[in-house]
Amino acid sequence: MATYLEFIQQNEEQDGVRFSWNVWPSSRLEATRMVVPLACLLTPLKERPDLPPVQYEPVLCSRPTCKAILNPLWVTIEVSGVAIADGSFIGVCPTLFPPAYTGISEVNQPAELMPHFSTIEYMVQRGAQSPLIFLYVVDTCLEEDDLQALKESLQMSLSLLPPDALVGLITFGRMVQVHELSCEGISKSYVFRGTKDLTAKQIQDMLGLSKPAMLMQQARPTQPQEHPFVSSRFLQPVHKIDMNLTDLLGELQRDPWPVTQGKRPLRSTGVALSIAVGLLEGTFPNTGARIMLFTGGPPTQGPGMVVGDELKTPIRSWHDIEKDNARFMKKATKHYEMLANRTAANGHCIDIYACALDQTGLLEMKCCTNLTGGHMVMGDSFNTSLFKQTFQRIFSKDFNGNFRMAFGATLEVKTSRELKIAGAIGPCVSLNVKGPCVSENELGVGGTSQWKICALDPTSTLGIYFEVANQHNAPIPQGGRGAIQFVTQYQHSSTQKRIRVTTIARNWADAQSQLRHIEAAFDQEAAAVLMARLGVFRAESEEGPDVLRWLDRQLIRLCQKFGQYNKEDPTSFRLSDAFSLYPQFMFHLRRSPFLQVFNNSPDESSYYRHHFGRQDLTQSLIMIQPILYSYSFHGPPEPVLLDSSSILADRILLMDTFFQIVIYLGETIAQWRKAGYQDMPEYENFKHLLQAPLDDAQEILQARFPMPRYVNTEHGGSQSRFLLSKVNPSQTHNNLYAWGQETGAPILTDDVSLQVFMDHLKKLAVSSAS
Amino acid sequence: MAGRQLERRAPEDQGPDGQCFGDNAAHETAQSAPCPRLRTTAQFRRASSLALRRPEVTRCPAGRAEVAMAELYVKPGNKERGWNDPPQFSYGLQTQAVASKRTPLTKRVAAAQDGSPRVPTTETTSGPPPTGPPPASNKSPRLPPVGSCPGSSVEPLSLPVTEPETLLENVLRPLEQAVEDCRGHVRKQVCDDISRRLALLQEQWAGGKLSVPVKKRMALLVRELSSHQWDAADDIHRSLMVDHVTEVSQWMVGVKRLIAEKKTLSSEEETTEEKSEATPEETQTPPGVPGAP
Repeated sequence: MATYLEFIQQNEEQDGVRFSWNVWPSSRLEATRMVVPLACLLTPLKERPDLPPVQYEPVLCSRPTCKAILNPLWVTIEVSGVAIADGSFIGVCPTLFPPAYTGISEVNQPAELMPHFSTIEYMVQRGAQSPLIFLYVVDTCLEEDDLQALKESLQMSLSLLPPDALVGLITFGRMVQVHELSCEGISKSYVFRGTKDLTAKQIQDMLGLSKPAMLMQQARPTQPQEHPFVSSRFLQPVHKIDMNLTDLLGELQRDPWPVTQGKRPLRSTGVALSIAVGLLEGTFPNTGARIMLFTGGPPTQGPGMVVGDELKTPIRSWHDIEKDNARFMKKATKHYEMLANRTAANGHCIDIYACALDQTGLLEMKCCTNLTGGHMVMGDSFNTSLFKQTFQRIFSKDFNGNFRMAFGATLEVKTSRELKIAGAIGPCVSLNVKGPCVSENELGVGGTSQWKICALDPTSTLGIYFEVANQHNAPIPQGGRGAIQFVTQYQHSSTQKRIRVTTIARNWADAQSQLRHIEAAFDQEAAAVLMARLGVFRAESEEGPDVLRWLDRQLIRLCQKFGQYNKEDPTSFRLSDAFSLYPQFMFHLRRSPFLQVFNNSPDESSYYRHHFGRQDLTQSLIMIQPILYSYSFHGPPEPVLLDSSSILADRILLMDTFFQIVIYLGETIAQWRKAGYQDMPEYENFKHLLQAPLDDAQEILQARFPMPRYVNTEHGGSQSRFLLSKVNPSQTHNNLYAWGQETGAPILTDDVSLQVFMDHLKKLAVSSAS
Repeated sequence: MAGRQLERRAPEDQGPDGQCFGDNAAHETAQSAPCPRLRTTAQFRRASSLALRRPEVTRCPAGRAEVAMAELYVKPGNKERGWNDPPQFSYGLQTQAVASKRTPLTKRVAAAQDGSPRVPTTETTSGPPPTGPPPASNKSPRLPPVGSCPGSSVEPLSLPVTEPETLLENVLRPLEQAVEDCRGHVRKQVCDDISRRLALLQEQWAGGKLSVPVKKRMALLVRELSSHQWDAADDIHRSLMVDHVTEVSQWMVGVKRLIAEKKTLSSEEETTEEKSEATPEETQTPPGVPGAP
């Protein structure tokens, strides 16, 4: 068992890949019987400090239909110093030995043939390098305090941006202003009405962008526009206009239009975004660019409005949506989807920083971030450390001093012949590239072997789903292994073009005679996250209960297939170690805000799902089943069950749900602290005990993006609800006395506990009826 | 041990953010105790009067040369504007967070297969929860085995007498001199713009509007600038923008520009002086590829 765990861990570290199955069932029929699809979580740009990029072009398979990139798997087929080649780079087709490599031998191999270079990065000199672009789109319908804080954050960001990055500024309230940036100290801006939807062409005409741009393109058709003259009025290098832009930001005023009592301010978010998209579309298509939208409330007029300006009409709730009573939702969603698709087509991304106490329309606008790989940040105010630090972390750097952001990526997946690609789930859009390796059955965004990821960082993770194509009764494919190659081409934050190539192979096994091998190589953590992504993907279009039923059915089938039991005898049911955690992941997933909308606004659900759809395995798993650590005098901090029985009087608990960090003092600890023992020299160890979880929480807070909320509470404190709502309610007000002991804390809930859930699961799994 | 400054909260420091809600007040009265004060980060690092009474314990990673380069502190989030706002980390802490990673807390315990909580070990459930005092420390109290590092709030306490006041003159004159150096090489308007901002700096400094940490770090910045350490100076500028944006945002951009202009100026001078010397290009060849194709 340890060996598989090590293997899985090593693969994640080296290749950024986690597969649900690490030994693959060799036929299509058997694969479907495994219930959990053959799939993987791929972190295309996983940080690899030990992997310097090589500075030459990758070598492609010469067959036009293949074009796989040379990799270590190929060596296993043939290398002997002589130019003979059999088999392909990933076993799809025979190919010729690349002429450049005729001189190679065992001792003199190019890097990509070495086994530990299953992931390799190429730095290629292709196309003109263009600077990164940051276009700020700023809502001015904010409270004075908020606007001031936002202005300062934006001014601060000018110090964090690379000096040669281009910046632009659009402000909006009732009107939309596109600011011309110049060094001359005279501020000029173009004002647009916030009610009128404009086409890209109209926007470009009005900003005076279209003509010269076209002339430029005609003059130099092959060269990408490097610094189009036209754009310079709106997008300028930071190092040139930092002083003027600082002043311009400093002078920004709240939207001057009066807001009468009982009204919301008129906010033209839809038009502002449309202009931002149009501006970049006309000037810098296919260049890494971020549109950063800062908004303090819902769009209230024009295309994309989410709610009217009458305060007496509240913004839509889940209840309204279920009753089909959300007047503006469909139209607004359509507007933002149109913008998101255009943005993705241009290779740009949209970030949304929404800071307000009420909803801001993230539900309608979510596609802007989800399709383009942009960030979504939700806070209460711009004047909070949650926003300020989250915003700073956008510009954080890696160990080489490069920004942790990449742009304009295309992810191409190539498979050996026995596999087909069913789809992907993550911050991407389909590039609609059909081919023989594309399956007709779609899981997530399917029907293609290539996706575009307009913006990504080292943690961005996609779920990629496959299908075994080999027919039943057909022999195990030759070579005994299947192979997959992931090719990610992207613009590095240093503006270089780079290609990251990861090639992996796994053994095939006959599911009838070798089921134990397949079973032992099951990665339940990866499987849980991959199934959860499928569930959340469905939840976006299906009714909540249907998704839960689907998940339940899958879980029951999995238990039927891999559990050991006697028919009709629930007590005999056992799962092997490789599966033992899976049911509890599903239990917590069912209760999570990704599938339950109760107690969450539509915006909050969109926000939680946004982050769930892009984080890596570790973070995703924390979201599904939060981490709980216990601190006591009995020993070092230890992980404990996420269960009400872990809530003990003499413990301090630290819970990490990804979105919240909660520190909870047990009853006795809280009393001791109240009595002030921590300040008495003879009880110094108590002081240390109180400090330990705070230190650990800080460690988490320092690394997490976005900044989580930070809750300090104690036994009986009202905020202890955050802990109580997450733990498994093994003791409730209903069964407390049955347990007899005063250990743990009873939870006032009618929710089903893990015990009851497991009882039902076993009953259903062993039943011959189901 | 990770580098960070520990925050100590004194018991007197239970301010208005200790929350008291109806639902738990009833519970608490049963124990004839005041309503619970939640331990919040707002209680971290309070007014300096507190610091005077009770020295804050600070820790910093041993032997970090950059300690002087950046402030390391954590300040409370804005509880008034943000619900459960997390604490705010200084630029220095944020940037060094990359390096100091302990084992992440990501372990979880598997529930028993029947879903019931595991039978707790005897140690954890030896009778009712202890009602007496916490177990006393065996050893007599001793100082934490680590040194202290300069955090903003410790400064007035630990170095009140020895450290001389940073003088405006010492900061402003080298900056003005730098602007003069740039004149003739840089557009007049840019130089004027920088001068305007330096005047603003002077005005705010003289008007007592700048805090001690800002003044100190400006002195450091000027020192780096004078010794042509452009990147170090730029880094201090960045830390000031991140940590003290409200104080410095208006004029700091002038200093930033000045650093950049001086840097280009000096590199131009260098290239004209030593034209022959080519800067070694950083090339990485994959291991085992003497002549990569």
